[in-house]
Amino acid sequence: MKRRKSIAIAACAALTGLTLAACSSSSSTPTSGSSGGASSTGTSSGGAEAFNASLNGVVNPSTKKGGTLTFAESSVPDSLDPGDTYYDWTWNFTRLYATPLVTYKSAPGSAGLQITPGIATGLGTESANGLVWTYHLKHGLKFSDGEAITSADVKYAVERTYDRSVLPNGPTYFPTLLADPTYPGPYKDKKGTLTSVTTPDAYTIQFHLLKPFPDFNYVAAIPQTAPVPPSKDTGANYQLNPISSGPYMFSSYQLNKQATLVDNPNWTPTEDPQASQLASKIVLDLNVNADDLDNRLLAGDIDVDAQGTGVQAAARAKILSSPTLMKNADDALSGFLWFAYLNTKVAPMNNVACREAVEYAADKTEQQDAYGGPYAGGAIASTVMPPNIVGYKSFDLYNALSQPSGDLTAAKAALKTCGHPNGFTTGLAYRSDRPKEVQAAESLQAALARVGITVQLHGYTSGAYYTDFAGSPNYVHQHDLGIDMGGWAADWPDGYGFLDELTNGNAIVPAGNTNISELNDPVVNNLFTQATNPKLSSAAETAIWSQIDHEIMKDAAILPEVYAKSLLYRSPNITNAYVQGYYGMYNYAVLGVSS
Amino acid sequence: MAVSLDPSAGQSGPSPEAGVSSAGVPIEGRSLGQIAWRRLRRDRVAMAGGIIIVFLILVAVIGPHLVQNPNTYNPNLVDPTFSRPIGPWGGISLAHPFGVEPVTGRDMLARTVVGAQYSLLIGFLATVLAVVIGVFFGIIAGYFGGWVDTVIARSMDVFLAFPLLVFAIALVGVIPDTAWGLSGNSLRVVLLVFIIGFFAWPYMGRIVRGQVISLREREFVDAARSIGARGPYILFRELLPNLVAPILVYSTLLIPTNILFEATLDYLGVGLIPPTPSWGQMLSNAVTNGFYYIDPMFMVIPGLAIFITVMAFNLFGDGLRDALDPRTH
Repeated sequence: MKRRKSIAIAACAALTGLTLAACSSSSSTPTSGSSGGASSTGTSSGGAEAFNASLNGVVNPSTKKGGTLTFAESSVPDSLDPGDTYYDWTWNFTRLYATPLVTYKSAPGSAGLQITPGIATGLGTESANGLVWTYHLKHGLKFSDGEAITSADVKYAVERTYDRSVLPNGPTYFPTLLADPTYPGPYKDKKGTLTSVTTPDAYTIQFHLLKPFPDFNYVAAIPQTAPVPPSKDTGANYQLNPISSGPYMFSSYQLNKQATLVDNPNWTPTEDPQASQLASKIVLDLNVNADDLDNRLLAGDIDVDAQGTGVQAAARAKILSSPTLMKNADDALSGFLWFAYLNTKVAPMNNVACREAVEYAADKTEQQDAYGGPYAGGAIASTVMPPNIVGYKSFDLYNALSQPSGDLTAAKAALKTCGHPNGFTTGLAYRSDRPKEVQAAESLQAALARVGITVQLHGYTSGAYYTDFAGSPNYVHQHDLGIDMGGWAADWPDGYGFLDELTNGNAIVPAGNTNISELNDPVVNNLFTQATNPKLSSAAETAIWSQIDHEIMKDAAILPEVYAKSLLYRSPNITNAYVQGYYGMYNYAVLGVSS
Repeated sequence: MAVSLDPSAGQSGPSPEAGVSSAGVPIEGRSLGQIAWRRLRRDRVAMAGGIIIVFLILVAVIGPHLVQNPNTYNPNLVDPTFSRPIGPWGGISLAHPFGVEPVTGRDMLARTVVGAQYSLLIGFLATVLAVVIGVFFGIIAGYFGGWVDTVIARSMDVFLAFPLLVFAIALVGVIPDTAWGLSGNSLRVVLLVFIIGFFAWPYMGRIVRGQVISLREREFVDAARSIGARGPYILFRELLPNLVAPILVYSTLLIPTNILFEATLDYLGVGLIPPTPSWGQMLSNAVTNGFYYIDPMFMVIPGLAIFITVMAFNLFGDGLRDALDPRTH
């Protein structure tokens, strides 16, 4: 499961995995930087402008109303329809006009990973057998057109996402999780109804699952559960004027050019403490040249770079070399991991000691540089889960942090154990149309050569990478692709969201495989099963994610390279700015303008 | 140059130089080759192009043995924060006269020189392939005419209409890792030569065909035929020598096209396999990662290399055409 980080991810293969549509790796350069770590570098909350100040605190807190907040985006959204979008910046942006059943807590730091009520009164409750999830809606909520919001509107919002011919972009969790997978959607089947979603009364909605899924609240936090009034739905054109359930509503939208949002008169601050209505107008400019966008952002013409993946190389150089600009910048973890799959089936990599040798010998600093260095690339990784995922626990099995340029002594010892004291030869798959990945592949090749491991590079186009090449175990075996580069982000910030498709034995499929390591470790698989037990407390579940991460690293099935970061520029004009941990970008639902 | 001296075959007719000579010196007969050479020598632009070509060939042949290893990483020469080389002008220094690559710190001079070797090698071999195929089919089509001509000329049209770039990308993607006893980069070079050369032949073929059509009715061909010469003899002993000039000219002009096409494929990531340096890949890296902003030299150097090479071949080719074919004056 992975969110597309940006448009550039055109390459994402939409795979229907057991649970999720996975799309791998973004090509969008997460530009980012590093201050070392995660959100642990603490700054006290509330506060003054300083580098990384909004990672853990609110910068320019203010309740001042009025003004125009200008967003700009270098490309275009897949759609602004909350039911039809899969970019993480659009998920962030739709919070301005679409409130899902539940949502992420608007708060800096790790608090922002928690789920809180949206239009529901509380989080969903799971039936004893784990198959039914029930949500109750708040009373008195209204759409921007004055109509009351009822559970039927939520049900309809879910139903319409079933028709991929009308709404092709959004994630497909509902059809894969709910008990009625073949429902064609309300456009083709006007009379029928999705039987797996029931509405016992106007304020209660129940989801009936095929099998227990403890992470269902995260699924309910996807914008697809934001209510849509059936009478106002215009299918693919609904994105031009979505009826608002949030603080703002559309006043105009010229497709792929500019959207203007104004206050929604039927929204009250008390109904959704996770959002606010400070600016009186919001403008979203689309298709703005990326470098021009950066310049206007630095000049104060634009308040927010909507895409939230960081500034371009030119602006990065400007910001990092100027202390004044730097104090208005944040280097945020994007939730993305750059890594290499170490295949567990291709000889000699099927021997864990050989994989350990690769883990030890890799030069992590070179990898970091290849992806853009400490600020634009990210922090050196030693675990599979990045720090902004619930369940992350820092550990360093292969001295990635203590000896970032590689532990050659340990690597040679591992090679001896694996029976190839002088090294071995294996293939490495990478996407040849992504220059950063090419550089990462080249530097991995150079680093492994230091201990005698000869790596043959095999470049593929990203469009078919997961479908025909690295994602096809057969192809991998035939071509001895022991090492396969990859990138990954989760659709929701917990261990299941991040790890399941990546390392669960049952995720191995003949094409579109995302468990390219072909890790089928009974210990790991068993832990996944345990974690989905509906009776488990969330603390126990979190402990299991950390344990799985540790087991995967013990299997040396993944060579983590970089926790991607984005160097964000925080315009001094904006108030209440902080990085929402889940998105790795500013929380758009709470911003205001000072001037 | 084996240009036929049959006066009827001469393309130049009475040329001004042939008769003009300083007073008192007996007029000497000059071969067409000598005349062309004299004209070429007087064309300074073409000569400059020619000298650059000779220099480039020397660089490509000898250079790789003189420069440092193009794949040695020098992380100490790169500032990881900005991913750019330390020092002005892309880290130019005595040890690295062209500076170093951003991110990795690999020597740019070495990478450019080795890149030149591959560019020229592939450009030349692809041109040879295109010329061989093009001349062979062009002569046959032009000489025999009729349905043979129709078939060949129409296939040329098909080739010219082919979406070559798409085909090349697809082909490089599906080709196995080892084939014909080759693997890795040597296989890739063969493949690139094949793709580029095989799709460039119709340009040569068309020109040769046109020339042959105008030559085949000349008296010397009739004469050969009347004394019993057969097809192959007429094709390759009578017609071919008369085609040397256009073939030479268009080969020279085809080389830069092929070099550019190779750079394009490298740019798109379907050319040579990294870490083998190539100009197209360097450019792609500079543009896609935005290095041109923070380290312009990284784009300027491979860009200039391509520009100078293509320019030199084009200028020389133009001069050669002027020298061999004065009608274009």
